Amino acid sequence: MATAAGPLEGVRVADFTWVWAGPFCTLQLAHLGAQVIRIETATRPCVTRMLPPWADGEFGINRSGYFNQYNQGKLSVTLDLKKARAVEIAKELVAKSDIVCENFAAGVMDRMGLGYPVLQQVKPDIIMIAMSGYGATGPESDFVSYGPAQVPLSGMSSLTGYRDWPPMHVGISYGDPTGGLHGAVAVLAALLYRARTGRGQFIDLSQQETTIATLPEGVIDYTMNGTQPPRQGNRDPHMAPHGVFRCAGEQRWVALAARTDADWQRLARAIGHPELATDAHYGSLTARKANEDRLEEMITEWTLARSPEDATRTLQAAGVPAFTVYNSKDLSEDAHLNAAGFFVNLKHPEVGVRQHVGIPWHMAGTPCAVRRPAPCLGEDTDYVLCDLLGYGSSEVARLKSDGVVT
Amino acid sequence: MVSAAYAGKLLADLGAEVVKVEPPREGDAARRRGPFPGAVAHPEKSGTFLYLNTNKRGVTLDLTQQRGRELLCKLAADADMLIHNFPPPEMHALGLEYDGLAATNRGLVVVSITPFGLVGPHRDYQATDLTLWSAGGVAYLNGGGPGTDDLPPLKAFGRQSEFQGGLNGALGGMAALFARLRTGAGQHVVISIQECVAAILELTFEFYPYMGLIASRLGQKPIQPLDFFECRDGWIFLCCVEEHQWQTWVELMGKPEWASMDLFENRLTRAANWDALKLFLQEWIQEHSVDELYRAGQARRVPLAPVSTMADLLASEHLKSRGFFAVLEHPQAGKVRAPGAPYRFSATPWEIRRPAPLLGQHNDEVFVHQLGLSAAELTALRTDGVV
Repeated sequence: MATAAGPLEGVRVADFTWVWAGPFCTLQLAHLGAQVIRIETATRPCVTRMLPPWADGEFGINRSGYFNQYNQGKLSVTLDLKKARAVEIAKELVAKSDIVCENFAAGVMDRMGLGYPVLQQVKPDIIMIAMSGYGATGPESDFVSYGPAQVPLSGMSSLTGYRDWPPMHVGISYGDPTGGLHGAVAVLAALLYRARTGRGQFIDLSQQETTIATLPEGVIDYTMNGTQPPRQGNRDPHMAPHGVFRCAGEQRWVALAARTDADWQRLARAIGHPELATDAHYGSLTARKANEDRLEEMITEWTLARSPEDATRTLQAAGVPAFTVYNSKDLSEDAHLNAAGFFVNLKHPEVGVRQHVGIPWHMAGTPCAVRRPAPCLGEDTDYVLCDLLGYGSSEVARLKSDGVVT
Repeated sequence: MVSAAYAGKLLADLGAEVVKVEPPREGDAARRRGPFPGAVAHPEKSGTFLYLNTNKRGVTLDLTQQRGRELLCKLAADADMLIHNFPPPEMHALGLEYDGLAATNRGLVVVSITPFGLVGPHRDYQATDLTLWSAGGVAYLNGGGPGTDDLPPLKAFGRQSEFQGGLNGALGGMAALFARLRTGAGQHVVISIQECVAAILELTFEFYPYMGLIASRLGQKPIQPLDFFECRDGWIFLCCVEEHQWQTWVELMGKPEWASMDLFENRLTRAANWDALKLFLQEWIQEHSVDELYRAGQARRVPLAPVSTMADLLASEHLKSRGFFAVLEHPQAGKVRAPGAPYRFSATPWEIRRPAPLLGQHNDEVFVHQLGLSAAELTALRTDGVV
């Protein structure tokens, strides 16, 4: 465990988020060294606590790999926010925090009595970010938004898919992590502004908009030309070959691309077709695009005869971009990621040591590390109430028996 | 092309003074990427470049020449942050190592957005957006679903792994600036795009360490409906996660008889019998319009969504009322509408202050006025192709 201070050492986050987008934002802040305190409700636990994978297939409120992945390094306090006394305690926590994060539908925090105008009274320089599906304003701001529906809503599905197929998904609820990361960037910007001016602020983030922000080639093709790029499978208008090819074995695939004519010549030699390197049918991007079906057939003949790892080694040795299409087992066992120390293997009180995905950046001066596994529900309630907010143990007992603290 | 540029754009749009450094003559690769007006390639009219470089000034420098590298060091000596996405071999060849850059500027934050990081057996591997999306594990998860074993894993549109790298780069860089307020020192922030992609696998990765299972695009979805349907005039994505959402949807359809079949009694059996249910649903949905179903469903709190085309996004009253799309006024490309602010700050407005730079547009301003070169020196550098 790292002992040196992370870049956000001393920053406290009151985390009202749930599901994936919001917790993904606060995961970044926890990774950066902030103390992130999740406010949970035992009667309505985070959706991800109720979803698989369960450790060894056995259900339990603290046993979900989904929750335990995206809440690493955070603390948990349980408050029943339907009770006025619990809302008061939440405000006391906000008064001792720097940042408030939430991703409820627009208006929910206000109705709980925890809207920005209220919290600003409680802590004048508070930074608050709301990360709803549609944003805090506009005619659709009160629409219901679920992660899987964000991908089609944002326009991504209409651009993604096999040729001549219907619109498709992308495999994950992409709006969630993309919204969450934009949210973390916005929070950092607000922290830097507060350090300079002493002023907090409110940030309105729309997951829909943050996803559209990653689709400029689609949007601008339309605004310039009134058309949108057709669904192209794995092909690319500026590179050929550019695709995912079947290899020997059950569902084994390799991704590869020729960025330039020189890449193509190296590729042709590496797959045992040196004559193609100088063949006019494939010599230029235009020619390769015109003959792409045949090109892909020839590459498949070569990839089918070997494993994706072999194909990757051969092509990389020739200087051609290629990589195995990794599944979770491949990732888990990857020599490179393990050598780089990417995975986190901390002992969790209920599920023991499980491999979790770690931090995708490395900072030498203020090291970032996962300092504790995801919290059990309410694990830090006593710490928050007693150590942070100054309640005595008899008061805490009364709050518990009143169901304020659950 | 995308990752470092997007990180720089995030900072520039928030008010940072960002100088884009491009190679002389050909410029950044995004200038050749398009989309272009009328599909006619032009280095000053590429939509990708215009979008990724808003609010930046632009200079040209040939970093393969010693004098080019010296000028970059001068620029870095005066900067708070340097962001690049050269993979390790090029980073070394161009002299962009952290130690050298930070030698004259202790406060400098250097953000290196790399394919695989700086350590480990794959550090020097060649990569593109597609190979990184695959190396990070997301590509494996997407495809045609059950019965499509012959189809390859499918990438998402665009250059999503590079956007993820850029987001993490901006985040790490800003965190380092925040830490500098306390420590007074800059530092080296290294991003691995493979790791950025592996960090967004939703609930799929943990199936392996928690249950010994490998998530696959070929498996049946655990619950339904979560699928695409063709309407009279386009597509919708039907999403009923909770039982009450399904029941509301059934009411909205006028409670057809088939909906009460035992086969469809809960979200698990609806998934197990999805082939049959999908046909029933499709038959009903195709008689209706996208907007009608979207409004009717959302009015009853069913979280369905339209499959938006680009035209739909630009016409959306919701996005219009939020003022989402920005107009980039560019001297050569004209007015280009593009995605605007992804977040709104109450105290510090996000704004477009200037369009993306022309190639080398600010060479005089930056090299002469900011770094103090004489006009004669700049002319000599130009003659030698350094600038």
